[in-house]
Amino acid sequence: MTLGSLIDKTIAILRRDLLIAVRYRSGFVITAAGSLAQLAAFYYLARAVGPSFRPDGLDYFPFVLVGTGLFSFLISGMNSFVQIVQEAQQAGTLEILMSTSTPGPVLLFLSALSALTGHTLRLLFYLGAGLFLFGVSARTLNIASCLTILGLSIMSAMSIGIVAAAVQLAIHKGSAVLWLFSSASWLTTGALFPLTALPGPVRAVAQWIPLTHSLQGMRSALLQGARLPSLLPEISVLALFSLVLLPSSLWLFSWTLRRARLQGTLSYY
Amino acid sequence: MEGIILESVSKTFRHRPALFNWLGREQRGETRALTSVSLTVSAGTVLVLLGPNGSGKTTLLKLVSTMLLPDHGWISVNGADTRKQAGKVRQNVGFAVVTERSFFPRLTARENLEFFAALDDVARKCRKQQVETILQQVGLSHAADRLVMKFSSGMWQRLGIARALLKNPSVILLDEPTRSLDPGSATQFFDLVRTLAAQGAAVILATHSFQEALAVGDFVAVLDHGRLSAFRSLSALQQEEKLRSFYFESTGDFEESAQLVSRGA
Repeated sequence: MTLGSLIDKTIAILRRDLLIAVRYRSGFVITAAGSLAQLAAFYYLARAVGPSFRPDGLDYFPFVLVGTGLFSFLISGMNSFVQIVQEAQQAGTLEILMSTSTPGPVLLFLSALSALTGHTLRLLFYLGAGLFLFGVSARTLNIASCLTILGLSIMSAMSIGIVAAAVQLAIHKGSAVLWLFSSASWLTTGALFPLTALPGPVRAVAQWIPLTHSLQGMRSALLQGARLPSLLPEISVLALFSLVLLPSSLWLFSWTLRRARLQGTLSYY
Repeated sequence: MEGIILESVSKTFRHRPALFNWLGREQRGETRALTSVSLTVSAGTVLVLLGPNGSGKTTLLKLVSTMLLPDHGWISVNGADTRKQAGKVRQNVGFAVVTERSFFPRLTARENLEFFAALDDVARKCRKQQVETILQQVGLSHAADRLVMKFSSGMWQRLGIARALLKNPSVILLDEPTRSLDPGSATQFFDLVRTLAAQGAAVILATHSFQEALAVGDFVAVLDHGRLSAFRSLSALQQEEKLRSFYFESTGDFEESAQLVSRGA
């Protein structure tokens, strides 16, 4: 497949998703209202906790703002892979989509990329609203560090999302597996509270979840202005996760797709 | 070779009960959808597949399209093996599926076709024109900018045919393409299929209609319980009555059919 053809397909998928999103007009308003309500809840939670609680040397509201914002973004990103397969199974488009000239893994990847664009806008809205409406200072923000952590976090989230999509294709329960993963990660990755509050064995498990390093890295880059060299541990771990997980997950998805074609379960849901 | 070749193709679907099956009555088992089917469809010809429900017609079409892979045997489309060169096969095959649930309901007919055209590598510069031409060919120009969720069954069906023809495929697979079409549209469709075959396409059309078979087919194959029970040129079966007899003889339902006729059913 040429680069031109890849760009052409990406534009077609983005256009499709944008047109469908526009035709569900209420979706935008509901999402924005939900984000604002969530922000307000965390703001008043932080006030109730009081200024003496400073996890990792940060005020609690910015800590939880970045933690929940990035956590939701990455989990939603993973979920988009499952949703793409699930919706296509339910709408009956999966067999047809997987029989076009575009290879299945490429189609999944591009569709998820389109969904991630939407989630990125939502993340920017969430963080922007948190920073400006609730008066959080981001003067120390280090853009290069933020983008590096974000890029690597997206890659590792994509890998997990592709694995969940493969599970959806194989046993039609990808969303349940992802729900289990996100529930466990909510507890262990330090989205709401610092890892030091957890028992030692749980902290050890947390180190094996890419999200833990994403949250730590992003807080340092966004709220403490950490430069790239000081983020080397987080960057190395996230890069390693991506390097191992991304090709493995794509292989797994291709294998599951072929298995579904052999078993005749591509249209099941 | 140009066209489609199936060589000793078999396909079995296995059913595994759910984990807590004691809650239900789902049974373990298998369905032999196709057993050692061999046939050839040359470029420029139309093969009509006839057979009772569950005889394996749709399975055969899905196998040629690479939606399914065979358990045994092999299938070649314009010389490309469906197992090893699936991507190449997909570039050549257009498949009009029987289901209505295969479009994006909140996109218009034109938007749906443009989307699928992009995925099927229809060149960007001629895509709009191609979509326009196809919409006209299937009689949907007047509804091109209507959301497809507002379409009738017949319109869905015509849109499915349009999608199958978008990339000018050299192999066309049609699964009961006129099931929901009115007689006028069906006749137009028959002409379209004949034109495509005359232009060199290899066509497989699955149907239950003898009239449709005679209108478009060059050859007829009868499938029964997944086996190819008969194959014949349609030039020898020019009348609907002859084709009907041939079909019931092939499926073993001839006596039953004769009894129904004698009882005036």
